[in-house]
Amino acid sequence: MFEKSLYDLIRGLRNHKGNEKEYIQNCLKECRSEIRNQDMDVKATALLKLIYLEMLGHDMSWASFHVLEVMSSAKYHQKRVGYLGAVQSFRPDTEVLMLATNLLKKDLSATAPTIISLPIGALPHIITPSLALSVLADLLPRLSHSHPSIRKKTIVTLYRLALVYPETLRAAWPKIKERLMDKNEDPSVTAAIINVVCELGWRRPSDFLPLAPRLFELLVEGNNNWMAIKLIKLFATLTPLEPRLVRKLLPPLTDLIRTTPAMSLLYECINGIIQGGILGDGEDFSAREEIASLCVSKLRGMISVGGDPNLKYVALLAFNKIVVTHPFLVAQQEDVILECIDSEDITIRIKALDLVQGMVSSENLLSIVSRLMRQLKASSSALEQQSDHRKSDPETDSSDETSAAAGRKERSKDKPPPLPEDYTVDVIGRILHMCSHDNYASLLDFDWYLDVLTQLVRIAPAPRTRDLDTENSTQAKYLVADISERVGNEIRNVAVKVEAVRPAALQAAELIITRLFRVTSESATSHPAISGALKPIAYIAGEYAFQLSSPDDTLNHLLHLLPRIQNPEILATCLQTVIKLFAFVAGDDRAPWTAERKSSMSLLMARVVHVLEPLALHPYLEVQERAVEFIELLKLTAEAASGQTPTTDDIHQDPPLLLTQAIPSMFNGWQLKSVSYGAQKNVPMPEGLDLDEPIHPNLGSLLSQADSLMLPIQEDDEFDAYYNNKPPATSISSEPAILRLADTPEEVSGSYQQAGEESYLDPDIVARRKAERMERNRDDPFYILESGRSGGTSTPIHNILQRENGPDLDIDAIPIMKLDLADVDTNGGSSSKQQPTSRPKPRQKVVVAADESLGGSGLSTPRYESENNSDNLAKSRAKKLKQSLLQVDSSHLNTLDLDASSNSHLGAAYDPEKQQQDEAEMAQAMKEVQRLRLEMQRAKERIHVAQGVPAEGIVVKRKKPKKPAKVEGDEVGEAAGGEAVTKVKKKKKAVVPEGGEAPAEGEGAVKAKKKKVKKMAEIVDS
Amino acid sequence: MINAFLVFNGQGQPRLTKFYTQLDTSIQQRLISEIYTLVSNRPAGSCNFLPLPPLLAASGTSQSASQPHNDVPSLVTYRCYATLSFIIISTSTESPLALIDLIQVYVEALDRLFENVCELDLIFNFETLHATLGEMIVGGVVIDTNTDRIVQGVRAQGAVAKRPVNEGRGAGLGSGLGMGGNFVWHGR
Repeated sequence: MFEKSLYDLIRGLRNHKGNEKEYIQNCLKECRSEIRNQDMDVKATALLKLIYLEMLGHDMSWASFHVLEVMSSAKYHQKRVGYLGAVQSFRPDTEVLMLATNLLKKDLSATAPTIISLPIGALPHIITPSLALSVLADLLPRLSHSHPSIRKKTIVTLYRLALVYPETLRAAWPKIKERLMDKNEDPSVTAAIINVVCELGWRRPSDFLPLAPRLFELLVEGNNNWMAIKLIKLFATLTPLEPRLVRKLLPPLTDLIRTTPAMSLLYECINGIIQGGILGDGEDFSAREEIASLCVSKLRGMISVGGDPNLKYVALLAFNKIVVTHPFLVAQQEDVILECIDSEDITIRIKALDLVQGMVSSENLLSIVSRLMRQLKASSSALEQQSDHRKSDPETDSSDETSAAAGRKERSKDKPPPLPEDYTVDVIGRILHMCSHDNYASLLDFDWYLDVLTQLVRIAPAPRTRDLDTENSTQAKYLVADISERVGNEIRNVAVKVEAVRPAALQAAELIITRLFRVTSESATSHPAISGALKPIAYIAGEYAFQLSSPDDTLNHLLHLLPRIQNPEILATCLQTVIKLFAFVAGDDRAPWTAERKSSMSLLMARVVHVLEPLALHPYLEVQERAVEFIELLKLTAEAASGQTPTTDDIHQDPPLLLTQAIPSMFNGWQLKSVSYGAQKNVPMPEGLDLDEPIHPNLGSLLSQADSLMLPIQEDDEFDAYYNNKPPATSISSEPAILRLADTPEEVSGSYQQAGEESYLDPDIVARRKAERMERNRDDPFYILESGRSGGTSTPIHNILQRENGPDLDIDAIPIMKLDLADVDTNGGSSSKQQPTSRPKPRQKVVVAADESLGGSGLSTPRYESENNSDNLAKSRAKKLKQSLLQVDSSHLNTLDLDASSNSHLGAAYDPEKQQQDEAEMAQAMKEVQRLRLEMQRAKERIHVAQGVPAEGIVVKRKKPKKPAKVEGDEVGEAAGGEAVTKVKKKKKAVVPEGGEAPAEGEGAVKAKKKKVKKMAEIVDS
Repeated sequence: MINAFLVFNGQGQPRLTKFYTQLDTSIQQRLISEIYTLVSNRPAGSCNFLPLPPLLAASGTSQSASQPHNDVPSLVTYRCYATLSFIIISTSTESPLALIDLIQVYVEALDRLFENVCELDLIFNFETLHATLGEMIVGGVVIDTNTDRIVQGVRAQGAVAKRPVNEGRGAGLGSGLGMGGNFVWHGR
């Protein structure tokens, strides 16, 4: 039977459209046997096929040993396949790598340049500190190879070696420098060196300052634009260290800007001038001003409408850098930058947003947010249309792919394409950030903000429940799930901090709850997508129940929603809200206790208990506890209520005190205020508090007693008495409904409507808005009321003044309190009560309460939760992730001192002799390992023949984090300083516990070495 | 430096994947599909730079422009030729406009090697793709941008296979679309 070539494989793939999976599985099976073939040609072909399949996503890490075999082939075209396999499939945990060391060293010293290139090209992909240590001696001579392409590849590879093993540079840098200084060197090699130096430069600019004259020469003389770009980038990192360079650089740079035909070079010149701090500061102001205006005008030209989108993007990129040092220069370009927010291109939008975020002020906030809201609205309605469309014609989903592709085509024809979800989330986050920035410093119109937030709750993408297991995806999930909650949090923050708009915030909350109620009751299917915003919304609804326009309805809606809430945390908050609302609705002690009231109360209690009862068995403890508590309390109250005979014409009866006093008093007390982020950490631990102390010395026996004991459950009298004797707590609520906003749902022909608001707010929000304004302006003579309504007679002058002054409100006039703990007692409670809540007044002067904090202790700086909390979370998460995917960490280089002349750490210097010694030892150890491994391999193969090869696919388990190779790397990293002699021993020691994991097949005490080998063989086979 | 170089076609099937850091195959595939989604949703006339795909953005620095870290991949450049998209993921030390040119250089070199290159050439000769890339970028650092030298370097490694005769010709990559089109930066 003939083996398939790669050509056959690809043709086969193309001929098996539809059932590629099966075909690929078959091919993999064939490859598995072919790659064991003794014929090198067959082996190499099989490997090439595997590499191709790896590109399509089929793991081939199981074949790493065979990769090694092909790498060691004598024929160049086979060797090349082997090296390609190593580059594409070796991972940090690939153990066979250490067996490759000798091969790499051998190929590095080959005579044919093509063969030398192979290991040089492959090394950057597979390098480890120990490998770097052993190949360095063979790599260094290649720097003076006669072939320029070998030289430049070597330079780059040395750079990658240095990233994992910084000592490389100590040995290699003098030679690289020599190459760089050599004027007869091939220009392409010089360019490669510049590329490397540019990568190194930003980490350790001071080391490269001495090169400045040569670099300058290259910049002026060299006519290579690619290199010039890198040189300018390099100079931009050098100039901050050596200001004298600026004077030298300015003429050639301005010259380049004026003359170069290459846009990329022009851009980099400008960028370099910006980044190098050449703009602005220092003496010789006129010349610099000239160049600054030259740069900015060029950038402005790039950005302005109708230009090339790429230029727009890079100009924004440059502005993003300028804004850090020269914000005023960017602020001048506000107009063109704002235009970019509306660009069709998301990349440009995001960059513009980055910029705009820093430029927000009270003047432009409204227009910026309006722009963004319009985009979001358009995108969300487009999404709805699309989903409707898809539902309506079911023919399109014959197969997933085709319908998706069709959808994509349709979409591109439609005008506003729906925005990607993560972008939507990002934009919402930015809107919240811009508005809440610096404790709402830029925000003037809180009513408008509340409307925007209400709209955002509707737009925010529903939290998806994806069950992917990696860290990154949970992070993404967190972000998506979080955004609607963050919007809700903003509503809550406004309600808590800005007392003047609290009623409006409550209205918004009611609106959201009502809408959720409608959405869930409309769809017959269980609709689990309850917005995360519900949690904070429910909180304020409960906390400020007396300001709700219709607490009964809200209670009803919440009771309806409760069984549908999946997230236990939201559920817990909503439970609390339900009982608070109940307390408010039922707790009116002035209304007479009529028969009607009695029956409605008992019905209501029965309903609440009915809803709560299933939750008493909820798996989430918090929910369970609250549900059980409230059920018991309500049952008690219900009994009390049924015991109380209603008022008749003759006898006056008070409503049960449990209902009117006890339950409401649980929720009325100190008003809660916002506390700055982290302030709680500053609360000192009370003296004598010992958290380790058991609650009860004999808890265990008490509990066991409780099991056997039957507690007498009755005697409401006792409970009644208990509650009745207790003096009621301070009460600020139970104010009757005068506080409620007069809601006027009539349509008003509002001529003062801000233009364009309808374009991003839903009609019902707009209507509510109009009604509200109507109400607010009733007393204002400047507004003409509808004829049906009685015109206001009183015209308080301050109203007029405020209205007049409105848009130009001096933001500094808003007092921002900074509260110390000492003040809290006297100040905190009273300030809120001084001013009894009444019908909302025209609110222009809005007091935004600052977060409370504990001063002095310095443990944490006070921050505003709304802006920083999530960022911090994200940051700490990012830190936890350690480093980004794809990132090559070059931080090791920081610690290395490159300056060869002042070589102070001679002890740590590169010592070729010692290294050779190490290598010899290493090689010996390797040989041993190899021998044992081969033995094991043979044994394994025998077992395989007996058992048969697993039929389908590759089941490669993710390997355990600790790996011999890794351990070895660490050890060497430490030992590199000097006594590397013990390295091999150490390595073996470190491996022992690893080997222990391999299943011992009967032979109890095998040598550690042997175990390790066994493991190795296992990996090769798996 | 350059963190990855990818080529895939209009259906998102990879034609070349080269990551300059070691990455699990499954993560590579996810990254490719995320980038493919981004590329395929670009409206006409957009710029050649993509927003960071979620995989990179999650751990990266998308929002904090305050402390740009030069090690973090922060730039995704793409360029489409006929049916193929060429992607470069890089850090901020690379010049964005020069990267667009770099892709152009790569395609030009392929065009020289295959004489009027098309997707089929790339499918059947993916080893040559790797070899060509290896003459331009080593370990994430650009070593050469001169088409002549690149082609010469690839040819030195052995004959470049000709396109299979019996396979149909697709649309030409080079002459058909894009190449020498209206946005060449003359970076060279």
